[in-house]
Amino acid sequence: MPPASAPPAPLVRLVNLTRKFGPVTAVKNISLEIRPGDFISIFGPNGAGKSTLLKMVASLLSPTSGKITFSPDGSSPNRREVGYVSHQTLLYNELSGRENLVFYARLFSLADPDEAASRMLSKMGLMEAADLPVRGYSRGMKQRLTLGRALLHEPRLVLLDEPYTGLDQHGSRILTRMLLGLREEKRTVLMVTHSLAEGLELSTRVIIQNRGRIVFQADRESVDQADFENLYFEAVER
Amino acid sequence: MGQLKLVWLLAIKDLKIEYRSRQAFLTTLFFAALILVVFNFAFDPGSASTRDASPGILWVALLFPGMIQLNRSFQSETEEGTLQGIVLAPVDRGILFLGKVLANWLFLLAIDLLILAVFIVFFNFAPDPSFLWVILFMFLVGAGFSAVGTVFAAMVTNVRIREVLLPILLFPIIVPIILAAVNATREVLIHQDFSTVERWLQLVVAFDVIFLAAGFLVFDYVVGE
Amino acid sequence: MSFFWRLGSWSSIMWLESSSYFQQRADRYLKWAAWLLVPLYLVGVAALYAAFIHAPTERTMGEVQRIFYFHVGAAWTAFLAFFVVFVAGIAYLWRRNLFWDELGAASAEVGVVFTTIVLTTGPIWARPIWNTWWPWGDPRVTTTLVLWLIYVAYFALRSSLPAGEKRARLAAVFGIIGFIDVPIVFLSVRWWRTIHPVVITRSEVRLEPEMVQALLIAVAAFTILYFTLLLTRTAMRLQDAASEEIMQAVRERSD
Repeated sequence: MPPASAPPAPLVRLVNLTRKFGPVTAVKNISLEIRPGDFISIFGPNGAGKSTLLKMVASLLSPTSGKITFSPDGSSPNRREVGYVSHQTLLYNELSGRENLVFYARLFSLADPDEAASRMLSKMGLMEAADLPVRGYSRGMKQRLTLGRALLHEPRLVLLDEPYTGLDQHGSRILTRMLLGLREEKRTVLMVTHSLAEGLELSTRVIIQNRGRIVFQADRESVDQADFENLYFEAVER
Repeated sequence: MGQLKLVWLLAIKDLKIEYRSRQAFLTTLFFAALILVVFNFAFDPGSASTRDASPGILWVALLFPGMIQLNRSFQSETEEGTLQGIVLAPVDRGILFLGKVLANWLFLLAIDLLILAVFIVFFNFAPDPSFLWVILFMFLVGAGFSAVGTVFAAMVTNVRIREVLLPILLFPIIVPIILAAVNATREVLIHQDFSTVERWLQLVVAFDVIFLAAGFLVFDYVVGE
Repeated sequence: MSFFWRLGSWSSIMWLESSSYFQQRADRYLKWAAWLLVPLYLVGVAALYAAFIHAPTERTMGEVQRIFYFHVGAAWTAFLAFFVVFVAGIAYLWRRNLFWDELGAASAEVGVVFTTIVLTTGPIWARPIWNTWWPWGDPRVTTTLVLWLIYVAYFALRSSLPAGEKRARLAAVFGIIGFIDVPIVFLSVRWWRTIHPVVITRSEVRLEPEMVQALLIAVAAFTILYFTLLLTRTAMRLQDAASEEIMQAVRERSD
């Protein structure tokens, strides 16, 4: 029987994170440890503060109080360490796929921007359309390019903000396949989503957030897929 | 020096996009020319008083399209959320500001020069070395206009009434450089008097420096969060 | 209705730090404003006396010149108010406490009213003396007009955004940029005037010592008035903000 290994040291620590918007408190005192290789799905109803939480980790918003630290160096969130994907493409329609990636590569001060862009394009299977304007890309191609943009600078943490929004069955399938690829690469991913099914398929850990607080947290293995929907509604109705 | 390269990178990206869909440039240019035409109908074309008013007309014809351009420069960023894309980059927000200002400034300069040509034709000016002064003012006034305009345009991106709101915010602030531009142009073109130009030049340069610095410092507060 | 909010705020003091913070401040400021009413009354009456009785009639301009005391008083406070908007903006960006936003907005409200007073008393004074309603070449006149436009723009910006930290942040930035601009506008118009001497010869008000006294008292009266109004308006805005927070908490609890 192989010896039980100690759980890996956390990659990111969220400590007592709170975010207020005027009189409204969107995130109330959330603490969380994200371990390397975790694929965490955060479920919750609208207005639960999930996107706000994600944006704080992406350092798009600063917390009203609380801290986010990267381990082991304890540095605060660096935009360099994080790759963020929202349901908007964040792509320039007039530029080609390659031009988009080269632009972002240069913006992130990567060592060899053209090389990095080419590598990502081939990885995402976009070499053929690389020099065509993004305007003409299919939905799936745009998705792949968007993800490619987020991964370009080799971030330690990948953040996905409701990536399944507005996707049909086909689009969802493509996205899930890409995200499974991320999991295989042992990337650390934090995903906010409404899709219980996809989330469960992909995650190693699940969290339910409601009204700014974490109301449920568990490893994927300890959650029964069939039961989960009931569990979810119970958690948010409380 | 990497910072200056980033400013250039951002500006080139914007200009490249503008170039790809020339529609924006051409329609803005057309709008400016149209203003000149309308003013020619509004005033008596041959008279001396119209000639005296012509510097004002020129700058009005440059200002309004300028505002439209400022609004558009951020509109394209909200469509696919690309503003978020560059805000996410590990780049000082002040650098993002300078990149936008540079792109807007160059775009406006191109429009300014072409409209100046139309202006010379419509108002029957003889091409004259004193027009070089006018061009110099276009350079400098354009910089100040872009600096303050970029800050405000970034503020109103998500507001529904932004086309009206941007001029309301911008005009009071740029009064000094409008004053300088119109008066210097009038002195140089109509009165052939070069004694006061230096004073106006100093004013515009001071304005530019102050508001480029101010914009650089506050831009984080405008796009951040 | 406000009784319930008072009740609500009392019971919720434990778990709503900032709303009670706002409420406490609002109460304090109203108290201070009330205290100011006494000096305001005294100095105000003194100013009226000084302006209309104590100060002699100006030789060339006549009785209409007496507007000058209130005109200058209002002008001084109009610019003071904008300075407060500027400082409040910086304070907000530094501290991120919405209190500063409410203070800045209140000061702008008072400031725009005083600026309007200046712009309306000006022509009343100018016309009989210089035979013109609006002397564009005068740097003070144009600067005050631009100040008024900046105030209006400030409110246009605020009204286009929902209440919250974004509105506070952008309003603060605009206030800062506006304040930097005002002296530049003044200088530019003044330079314009030295280049183009205005046709209207501006006759300066020759000030007898009694007039100077009247002017100082009037300025003092307006300053006290400004602070009274500022405190009152700020208190009202803070109360509104506090009520809004309680309202929000009630909404969340009954969800």
